[in-house]
Amino acid sequence: MYRLALPLKIGENHLRDLMDWLEEISLRDGLQVRRILGDGSIGALESDPRLGRADRLKRIKEQIRRLRFPRLAQTEDSIRARIQELKLQPEIRLTVPAGLEGGRLRIEFDAASQDELQRLIAKLAEATGKEAVREIFAMLAGRTAEDK
Amino acid sequence: MKNFVPEEIVVERGSEGSLIYRNLRLALPQVPLRLVEDISTANGNGDFGAAKKTLLLARHKGEFLKKCPGSEGQVCCNYYVVNFASNCSMDCSYCYLQEYLAQNPALKVFSNVDDLMAEADNLLTKHPRFFFRIGTGEITDSLALDPYIGFAREVVPFFAQQPNVLLELKTKSDCVDGLLGLDPRERVVVSWSMNPQRVIDTDEHGTASLEERLRAARRCQEAGYRLGFHFDPMIEYPGWEDDYRRLVEEIFATVDWRRISWLSLGVLRQTPGLKRTMRERFPRTELLTGEQVPCPDGKLRYFQPLRVEMYRKMFRWIRRQAPTVKIYLCMESKEVWEQVFGYAPSCEKELGNQLTNFGF
Repeated sequence: MYRLALPLKIGENHLRDLMDWLEEISLRDGLQVRRILGDGSIGALESDPRLGRADRLKRIKEQIRRLRFPRLAQTEDSIRARIQELKLQPEIRLTVPAGLEGGRLRIEFDAASQDELQRLIAKLAEATGKEAVREIFAMLAGRTAEDK
Repeated sequence: MKNFVPEEIVVERGSEGSLIYRNLRLALPQVPLRLVEDISTANGNGDFGAAKKTLLLARHKGEFLKKCPGSEGQVCCNYYVVNFASNCSMDCSYCYLQEYLAQNPALKVFSNVDDLMAEADNLLTKHPRFFFRIGTGEITDSLALDPYIGFAREVVPFFAQQPNVLLELKTKSDCVDGLLGLDPRERVVVSWSMNPQRVIDTDEHGTASLEERLRAARRCQEAGYRLGFHFDPMIEYPGWEDDYRRLVEEIFATVDWRRISWLSLGVLRQTPGLKRTMRERFPRTELLTGEQVPCPDGKLRYFQPLRVEMYRKMFRWIRRQAPTVKIYLCMESKEVWEQVFGYAPSCEKELGNQLTNFGF
């Protein structure tokens, strides 16, 4: 951990999160923290020359979060993939809350004119009928095959 | 269940004439007893675990009855609590009292039961049209100390006579002997917190086994009591589904579901402060390795899709066995209610009324 923390100059809050997560992964998986940090994906981020210090910390923290919360991360990925499938314009943003708490999909628009707004709403209305949207809400509501 | 025996009993002067004192002396003659002028001098040094070894007896100077505080932004079941004791002889690793009573962890029983009943009588008489649900298990276990203090023997006959109340005695013990010769007249619900034996073994230290709880529930039912079961906190771990499905089946194979007043579901939850305490006191517990995230009320819970899935599965397993038994969620938001049941109570009175209406 020291080897990781020193070059990244990790602040107190980030350090506490990381240490908690690593300790919990260690307890859950019966692995030493050294082994967890030796995971190939973390090593690759540590040595990636394209990343600055802040980006490196952000990406490493996200990777450790994904190890700590694998099913949450998987659900988030699946929802993100469904949102991509909708192929909406960048002016329409669909997001889900942190930790998926609340079970709601947030929709934001940016429009510079009435015409544009109408066009975006039409595009969104078309998207709402797609299977991907049904699947997003099903995932937010924790629905499994047994619920069908 | 291994009987809890305190290492010492400390009595505040003024409580020696109480019935609880007499019961304690009769039940635990071998335990050293010390009389003090002021109980606050014997409140312990703040060590939560050590505080459970000494049993204090004193008069309660404040109000006994209060509305259950619930949790901010969550659907509330309109419940009242009466605190006849503070802290618990058992030691569950997830217990919220570790944080709630951190500054005042003494294991304390209040000697002025007459005042408690007078206060309850006053409240029930003042609001004759309101049907109350009152529980004694908020900051203590309702029955774990009963073999020594005989509290149930005092209060059950009183509540059994009231027209507008249900008293809930909530426990993880099997200490029901004191209840069996009494007539609850449909006014007393004895309820158990339930978990698979695996969870009892790892995280519910000093409590009755699943088999003991079920046997005690059966005895209470045969003695005329209504029953309640609280699957709270539900713990998610590899294999939880098999364990909880079997738990549900065992309950309904043991008791008659038509005599069950309510079942509640709630997942493991804790504040960040409680999490720190759990880490310190139970460093090997695996409870803290679940996928919990912060919720708007500040508590950590399994992320919503996961816990909704857990609730929905439990709901389905229960419904297979007990088609109409009342089921509610403890400390959950309207969104979660809607995702699990397809509806959420419009207000706390609605839920409270549903839970008291079981057709007298």
